[in-house]
Amino acid sequence: MLPEQPLVLIVEDDSQLMQYLTTTLRSHGFNVAEATTWEEGKSMALGLAPDVVLLDLGLPDGDGLSLARELRAVSRVPIIVVSARGREEDKVLALDMGADDYITKPFGSSELLARIRVALRHAADLTAPAATVVAVGSLRMDFASREVTLEHKPVRLTKNEFDLLAVLMRHAGQVITNRQLLQEVWGDTAKAHATYVRVYMRSLRKKLEADPTRPRLLLTELGIGYRLKPDLDED
Amino acid sequence: MLCRLAMDPPGSKPGGDDSAAAPARETRYMVPVDGRPDCAGLIRATCRMAEAGGAPWIGVHLDGPRPLMSSRDDERRLADNLRLAEELGADLIRLQPLTRNLARELLALARTHQVTHLVVGRGGPGWRTRLTGSLLEELVQGDLELVIHVVPARPSAEPPPPAPAPPEALDLVGLAIAIGFVVLATGVGFLVFHYLGLADVIMLYMLCITAAATQLGRWPTLAASVLSILTLDFCFIEPRYSFVLTDIQHTGTFAMMLGVGWVILGLAERIRAQTRLAQNQERHTRTLYRLGKVLAEGGSVAAIQQRVVPFLRQELDLPVALLLCDAKGQLPVPAGPGLRLEAEELEIARTVMARGVPVGHGTESYTQSPCLMLPMPGTERPLGVLGLWFTPGAGAMPASRLDLLIPLASQIALALERASLAEDRTIARIQAEHERLRNSLLSSISHDLRTPLGTITGATTTLLNPGPQSAPGDPKVLLGTILQESRRLLRMVNNLLDITKLESGLVQAKKEWAAVEEVVGSALSHLEEQLGSRPVSVELPEIWVPMDPVLMEQALINLLDNAIKFSPAGSAIEVRGWAEGGQFLLSVADAGPGLPPGEEELIFEKLYRGTGRPVTPGAGLGLAICKGIAQAHGGSITARTRPQGGAQIVIALPMDGISPELNPDYHS
Repeated sequence: MLPEQPLVLIVEDDSQLMQYLTTTLRSHGFNVAEATTWEEGKSMALGLAPDVVLLDLGLPDGDGLSLARELRAVSRVPIIVVSARGREEDKVLALDMGADDYITKPFGSSELLARIRVALRHAADLTAPAATVVAVGSLRMDFASREVTLEHKPVRLTKNEFDLLAVLMRHAGQVITNRQLLQEVWGDTAKAHATYVRVYMRSLRKKLEADPTRPRLLLTELGIGYRLKPDLDED
Repeated sequence: MLCRLAMDPPGSKPGGDDSAAAPARETRYMVPVDGRPDCAGLIRATCRMAEAGGAPWIGVHLDGPRPLMSSRDDERRLADNLRLAEELGADLIRLQPLTRNLARELLALARTHQVTHLVVGRGGPGWRTRLTGSLLEELVQGDLELVIHVVPARPSAEPPPPAPAPPEALDLVGLAIAIGFVVLATGVGFLVFHYLGLADVIMLYMLCITAAATQLGRWPTLAASVLSILTLDFCFIEPRYSFVLTDIQHTGTFAMMLGVGWVILGLAERIRAQTRLAQNQERHTRTLYRLGKVLAEGGSVAAIQQRVVPFLRQELDLPVALLLCDAKGQLPVPAGPGLRLEAEELEIARTVMARGVPVGHGTESYTQSPCLMLPMPGTERPLGVLGLWFTPGAGAMPASRLDLLIPLASQIALALERASLAEDRTIARIQAEHERLRNSLLSSISHDLRTPLGTITGATTTLLNPGPQSAPGDPKVLLGTILQESRRLLRMVNNLLDITKLESGLVQAKKEWAAVEEVVGSALSHLEEQLGSRPVSVELPEIWVPMDPVLMEQALINLLDNAIKFSPAGSAIEVRGWAEGGQFLLSVADAGPGLPPGEEELIFEKLYRGTGRPVTPGAGLGLAICKGIAQAHGGSITARTRPQGGAQIVIALPMDGISPELNPDYHS
């Protein structure tokens, strides 16, 4: 399902970081295209049709956020935003604007590869017909019968809990912002409040996690949203 | 030029020095201050003598009633002399004398103030010399151990005051009342003349003269006296109804009547003058007292200025302005809408600054200006001027007013100087503290940043250029070192950025209802690698706490990191949370050695690394960041050593507001 040698477009102005990224990705079997400016990034993203875009938010000649928005307007290519710590607002903005995930500088290669794989898999899922059963690790969710099992034991969930978990399961491994969750589950972000998400996440964790303070499945990205821990061994 | 008249007290050794006479007594000079022209010279001479001996000196003014002959010149000179004495460094004493014996008063004062040297003038020629002479004699006869210096009269070269004092205005109402008194006395005289006799009628007229003298003043008394004599002569003395005097003895009676009137007038004027003086002084004292209260409130220079100007405006009933010098000692040219100085007023202000004396209305220069400017002297340089605007045409200001205004301005100057010195000191202290912190921060940062960088550089060069004896496992070890040092560097840079942001006030806690376990869980997952297999026990209530989750996560990471660093590897770490008294308390405890006593507060100071602990690189900012984050939440942070051992750090966050209550099965 995944492309043989996926093409990763890196939009990054720092040459050392670029060198590290290209070396790492090439050694793991990726094709790499390098863009160092906003303009170059845009033309290459449109001209080369990469499988995934790695986008630095701090570009010398333009705002990375606006590039993410422009790309999302014309293409469904997965975009992973690269940003520094402490810029949570930027990350949320980028994610709400259509970026698929983010990664915080500095990052290790395993983290980077995991994010790219998740993004690629998610992009492949989009083209395939929607599955009725999704499994992440020992967690199984049947969308048709609305049944959830954990380690083959049924788990009783309320409607909201189910919907919340469903969004995270469909995007397993990807961060989902609070706003996206509200939009997906309650539909109306104006009325709902981010606290709703936390309230239901607490009850979900009680049902799914052995120790809610050391979650193994439902990870918190503070200030941004939630992520269901991906089960990458399946790949 | 200077006569020295050493008085040896009886019983002391002849020729004994004054220091030998009374070894315990400190030399102290005293000089009487009055309005005489030669007094200024006397004051200067005393100052010279006192300064030569390094002794303190006192200026005494016996504030008796002004002599009848006293002029405005005398009053002005008195004010000048008092000011001169004060400026030259005298302690000024103003007293209402109990008796009219000046010598006794002076000696009594000298005794109470333990004066050793008294300076008096010999006076010029004329009747004053005789007075001074007698004063000197009386002083010499005093029993005090006192060295008396007699300084010859040397009228100072001060310019003669320009305008002669205006004559006392004719009091028409008083004159009419005086005439009424005489008419009344004449009427009653006619009624009683037949029954009593001439002597009683004369007494009636005396009564009317006395009444005029005590109640009405100089001219009405004179009029009453002359009119009384004329009517007495015309109406009652033979031959009646004519001014012809046949009996020579009546001229004596008339002269007595005039004399008694004059004497009583003199007495009454003295009492009136004394009352006026007392009232004036009382008013001065009250004003100064109230000013003292206004100034005692303290505060910054601006605050004092804001309080004093309205106070003076109300107290003096005049427009008032305080012009303060800038840092360079220059008077600013105020151009605000409230105050605009005319060219002349600016010139007056500059003159005051240059000469240090009052200039303008009621003084010798710029007399015609409605504006009076007073100096506000400081210890090093003038602080500025106090400006008053008199209503044009309201007449000259009495000299006694200047007596009040000068100490008023000095007091304000004193308070302002104190305030500005305090401000300077605060600024200097803050700057020094800032400087100290910046220096230690710089040296600590340069050390903490260079060390891991050095390791990374070194390890990398070895990897690029391995030695001939290198073992096959070396690269892996070196790479591990590089990774570890990079992480350390990252943590330090993050801490540095955090503390900078917190201190600059850029960080504001964005409070939201957070699930505590989420924040704790996120912090623990960040430290998974450092924690390794350490047992971490977490005990949290299922409550909602208003906090900024991102900041609190940061604080928790730092607390956990600290606990890992300062406790033995593999020992347990406890994270506990509980609500108590409107606060949420979050505690991180370790099983380490605990805190050295007395360092419970210090560990939250920036760059504090502890005394009894091994120096751990990168330490010194983490807990300061925690403190900053707690404070950004309106909370606090405390540390202690637990009774069972190990350090415990507790962050207290305020729990205000109502926590969210949702129907668990809420459907849109």
